[in-house]
Amino acid sequence: MNEHARAPNSGGEDDLALIELVLAGDRRAFEPLVRKHERRVFRVALAVLGNSEDAEEAMQDTFIKAYRHLDQFRGESRFTTWLTRIAVNEALQKRHARKESVSLDEAPDVESKSLPGRFEPWTSNPERLYGKQEIRELVEGAIQALPPIYRETLVLRDIEEMSAEEAADTLEITVPALKSRLLRARLLLRESLGRHFEERRPLPTRILDSAKRLRNMMKVMTGTAGR
Amino acid sequence: MATLTCKQALAHLSDYIDEEGSAELRRALEDHISWCRRCRVVFDTTEKAVKIVLDVEPFEVPLAVSARLYTRLEEVLSEK
Repeated sequence: MNEHARAPNSGGEDDLALIELVLAGDRRAFEPLVRKHERRVFRVALAVLGNSEDAEEAMQDTFIKAYRHLDQFRGESRFTTWLTRIAVNEALQKRHARKESVSLDEAPDVESKSLPGRFEPWTSNPERLYGKQEIRELVEGAIQALPPIYRETLVLRDIEEMSAEEAADTLEITVPALKSRLLRARLLLRESLGRHFEERRPLPTRILDSAKRLRNMMKVMTGTAGR
Repeated sequence: MATLTCKQALAHLSDYIDEEGSAELRRALEDHISWCRRCRVVFDTTEKAVKIVLDVEPFEVPLAVSARLYTRLEEVLSEK
């Protein structure tokens, strides 16, 4: 089931029960907490850092820090929010340690690039054009191609479903700055996905997509998928 | 609210998608996209993009990455 299909607090009670067990000395109760949240933590770290190796390290550090500081979780916010904040902090620290200048992410041409440039409607049924896995790969590629400050904003708001206030607080920026980044992120994503989902796509794109589908089918048939 | 320009409408695209902002703003945005085809397409396709992103639940943890996480946690959980 998708996160958004759940009631906002469902699952939170399970988290609290597990946290109480861990704090009472049952260390094994931490593992189900990790299982439940590892994907979210990995995704957030990947959004901030942009590559799997660094995201893996940030994920490990996040869970170790959460375990060691679990007694500081006050239950005022949801556990997911608390944990996501730790994950973003760990990832941001790693990014700073890489001495990446965030100002590079805000190249002046991003503003013009994020202005809409495609005005064809999308197909109402992308599943007719692509398989589920292909759609996921297209989305993952489009998100990974976003500049980091837009990528992290989009992931916190549109995938982890944090409120604008929570996301701004987590990224230590103002709510207006968060909203401005989110708008750009969504517009850039739309441009990127539009190449694949428009009703009247340019012929070269359609031919390339068909060739890719054919190649994937051949891989599956010959058992070389994933190589 | 006065008729919106395309630039003003675009600035409120997220309010439209997230169903935030006043009823008056919503009416002004709906009025704008009722006659402006380009903005209607941009609003509609951005909304679709946001929905697709949520629906596909992107980025799984690779199995090997997950396995290494549990190995490292095992060490930490068994510390005295």
